[in-house]
Amino acid sequence: MTNLSVSRSPDDRALLVHAYVDGELDPANALAVGRQIAADPVLAAELARAQTLREVLRDRLPRKALPPHLLPRIEAAVGLKSVGLKRLQHRQSWHALAAAAVVALAIGSASTWFVLHQPASDRIAEAIVDDHIRGLMAGPTDVKSSERHIVKPWFNGRIPQSPRVVDLAGEGFPLIGARVDVIGTTPVATLVYGRRLHVISLAAVPDAAAGERAPVPVSTKGYNLVSWSENGIRYYAISDLALGELQTFVRLFKAA
Amino acid sequence: MGDSVSSEGDRARFATVVVPHLSDAFALACWLTGNQSDAEDVVQEASLRAFRAIGSFSGVNARGWVLAIVRNTTYSWLAKNRSRDLVAIEDIDGGGDNGRSGVEVDSAASYDPESALMAKVDAIRLEAAIAALPMEFREVLILREVQGLEYREIADVIGIPIGTVMSRLARTRRRLMDSIRTDHA
Repeated sequence: MTNLSVSRSPDDRALLVHAYVDGELDPANALAVGRQIAADPVLAAELARAQTLREVLRDRLPRKALPPHLLPRIEAAVGLKSVGLKRLQHRQSWHALAAAAVVALAIGSASTWFVLHQPASDRIAEAIVDDHIRGLMAGPTDVKSSERHIVKPWFNGRIPQSPRVVDLAGEGFPLIGARVDVIGTTPVATLVYGRRLHVISLAAVPDAAAGERAPVPVSTKGYNLVSWSENGIRYYAISDLALGELQTFVRLFKAA
Repeated sequence: MGDSVSSEGDRARFATVVVPHLSDAFALACWLTGNQSDAEDVVQEASLRAFRAIGSFSGVNARGWVLAIVRNTTYSWLAKNRSRDLVAIEDIDGGGDNGRSGVEVDSAASYDPESALMAKVDAIRLEAAIAALPMEFREVLILREVQGLEYREIADVIGIPIGTVMSRLARTRRRLMDSIRTDHA
């Protein structure tokens, strides 16, 4: 590991403050830059400004939402007829689409055998990925709260067993809310956490429904997936976060 | 037969790889083109490009892949339709920060008046200040602050080294802070 902070011009040191704000330095360099900031009011002022700017941008910039007519237009252009914006509001339709897509992929192709013979846990992983994607499109939560004392009781009456809900806001993974996914016929509690602007879905599947343990793919359809078992529950964490950060999330969740 | 099967497969992949990221794609196109109707054209064209290239998608980081296509499509779209907006900027990463290289000596860390001033900026001024940034600065800012990408992902989307991402982002923030400050003065 190279030490980025020695023998640099003042301007270069100021640049490193921005990488520090962004959490992009490795631990040794972050420590060194942190010390320099503490010792140098010029760098401290740069840090304060960069942090303020980040907050202002995050809180005040208007969100640009996809215009409702654009998706159907794009789907028509590529010959996708089955998705429409209306369907996105209905989970069942989205599942139907995903199923139709899998069938379309399977028919007449060499992958038929593979699709039909996937182990149960792989199919669960697939379903969880689809639910995550559906969540990204239609809104990831059925209940939106960063308060675990609101999220946990919300599951009462919706699902046999409330999942473990932990608060990781202090570690940079704030709770956003939760939803119930249905995998096969089993309702599954899914917690939703954030990391900067990324969304993490954490599904808790009872072991009985998860079936035999097959290795869960680390990456599928462009999303990273980390899975583990704990007290009769099989957890699946999925996100477009880098795998390392997703693993950090899992480690923090387990330890909490 | 072979063709129709593969295009069915392509459509299925498009629905899972590209469609979930169309909102982010649209937001990026809005910020880069500066208006919604141009952004719609860009996103539609980018979607077609993504659909044609879906077979080459590696399976890792769908969002980054889609955003890279949107970004490249924006550039070619602007070159075709509004070439005056794409003024080549010489040496944008080579230092020379137009009168403000280095950090000015400022007040103590605990209270920074410039930060306090910046904290009061409203959304309209902020948006105007971002719109006034040159494209190369604006894209790195939006990819980081609006799309939340890491430096590595930004480097991949734009096709520049990761060190350049760091320095360009720092310079962009400085420019933006300067323009907000001048606005208030």
